[in-house]
Amino acid sequence: MATNACVPRFVRPEPRGIGWSILLTLPIAVWTLLMGFHPGTNTDPKSRIAAAITAIFMTALFFMMMRTGSTYRWRRIFFVTLGVLFPVGFIYSNVIARGTMGIPVEEMIAGRTPFCFMPIPLLILPAAFTRTVVFPGTITHGIAAMVGIWLALTLVLGKGWCSYACFFGGIEEGVAAIPARAKIRKLDPRWRYGPWAVLLAMVLLSLALFEPAYCTWLCPFKAVSEYIAARNTVGLIQNAIFILLFAGLVIVLPFLTKKRTQCSWFCPFGAFQSIFNKISAFEVKIDKERCKPCLACQNACPNLSLSKESIARGEALMSCMKCGACVDACPRQAVVWHIKGTGAACKPERARLMFLYSAWAMAVMFGGSIIAQGVATILHFIG
Amino acid sequence: MEGRPVIACHRTQTRARNDDDHPRMAVSVHFGEALVLGLASGPACIAACGPVLVPSLLAERAGFRPHARYLSVFLGARLAGYLLFAAVAWEIGALVSLPSGPRVLLMGVVNLLLGGVLIWYAWSARNLCGLSCAGEKLVKIGEKKNRRAAGPAALGLLTGLSLCPPFVAAGVRAAELGSVAQALLFFFFFFIGTSVWFMPFISFGCIARNEAVITVARMAMALIALYYLSLGIAMLIGRKTYGY
Repeated sequence: MATNACVPRFVRPEPRGIGWSILLTLPIAVWTLLMGFHPGTNTDPKSRIAAAITAIFMTALFFMMMRTGSTYRWRRIFFVTLGVLFPVGFIYSNVIARGTMGIPVEEMIAGRTPFCFMPIPLLILPAAFTRTVVFPGTITHGIAAMVGIWLALTLVLGKGWCSYACFFGGIEEGVAAIPARAKIRKLDPRWRYGPWAVLLAMVLLSLALFEPAYCTWLCPFKAVSEYIAARNTVGLIQNAIFILLFAGLVIVLPFLTKKRTQCSWFCPFGAFQSIFNKISAFEVKIDKERCKPCLACQNACPNLSLSKESIARGEALMSCMKCGACVDACPRQAVVWHIKGTGAACKPERARLMFLYSAWAMAVMFGGSIIAQGVATILHFIG
Repeated sequence: MEGRPVIACHRTQTRARNDDDHPRMAVSVHFGEALVLGLASGPACIAACGPVLVPSLLAERAGFRPHARYLSVFLGARLAGYLLFAAVAWEIGALVSLPSGPRVLLMGVVNLLLGGVLIWYAWSARNLCGLSCAGEKLVKIGEKKNRRAAGPAALGLLTGLSLCPPFVAAGVRAAELGSVAQALLFFFFFFIGTSVWFMPFISFGCIARNEAVITVARMAMALIALYYLSLGIAMLIGRKTYGY
């Protein structure tokens, strides 16, 4: 009954006034300044400038989200920037630390491999069987911190991690944005099961090989972050796989399909995150009464997370990344942000605001520091 | 016998001399030890066979009976692989440590075969969803019986030959025994011990099969097959390049 009591307006909302938008942006502006200039941050002038640029950038994007009522395109600017600047800062710090982008076996044996979030699902079974973390890194120096950040973000955002925190997905989202129209439009929906298959295969292989199998054999982003120093035939084959997967899934297919193909068809971490969508408070709902299935949302979704069946059920698939593309694309405002446990049609803008405050605060904290590092690297090269 | 390492011969003689005093007790101790070794190595066996066993089981029809049949064939063939390798290795005196060259060659070939069989198995399961989702009678009409036995048999045999760490551990111990028959019995009891750990996999029969599960299982099999194929190729190329 509560649902019927508050039927939302059936017109696209007018842009907010500048004053109201500034007021809504103020908490994020304070948060960005705190994150960029808190005690303990790097105090050299270039890092300070980089932090200031990042703070302005993140605040401006949030302001535009508030002002225009649109989420996707402003988030995409942040996400592509994150995806492009991550390799810049990361490769530079690797080259400074060890003189090469490739990680030699000696570094792995010494436990100095930087830990990203990708292997998290692969560590669970070996840890359960042997109480050992099968990653050549240090728990206190990298693994624990990354797992902590991942857990905090995941509990709040669910698979929103893949749209607001992942520092890999931005490259393919940027490539997918280049062509005006998709060259390939008919995509077999069964490819959506790909990430689950990769997850299953990699979890089993990680247990068998006692190593994070995805990192050593399949990660496309090794091509732009930290490849394995190829000193034998196996190393050569591994690097060839990394480069081929990167070229195919991150460059060519996103360009042809205008979709995030690596995320939709391949990423095992994405499949793992989908499970956490079940516990996240935020979701995307479709008002079945207002929806005239024009499939604009399905076409707009970069992750193939909407099907005719799911639209008929009034919800996105569990792989939804909460990027907001479908909400922005719906001409009848039938696709809305929603907080679980509340009425389906009640105050979707309020739900959007609550989600965006959580997501953007974490994006500033996690992605913002990566962007600042990338900007600082560029400033260093400029002189 | 000439090819067997010297250390193994010494141990065999010492063991044989001790065993002469209490032969029956010694034999039962050996086999009890094999059983316990198998039980202790079970998790490592599950880890080693998991990439082959789990997706191929998920590509089966739902139900306890098909899973029990699959596991029986798989484990039987795995035992055959164990015994075959043990008998050959005993005869050439290489049970304790197979020389590097033949070992890499064997592993390379086994990996290539494993990859090939997995790809065939994934391909042959392409119509399974349609059959599984239909009624029981339709499933029986459409079932290809050859695939049902040949797939798990081939996979079991190849995993049995693939020199996993528990198998090597058992091989070192079996090499100390007095005869090939005793060594094979040792492997048999070792196998019984490890097989206990495989029994829970019958419960995979409870998982409902639909297009998603079958497709994920088939894709996972194809990926794991690619891993084995690339490893096999790397081993064979590496052997030729570096000469080990």
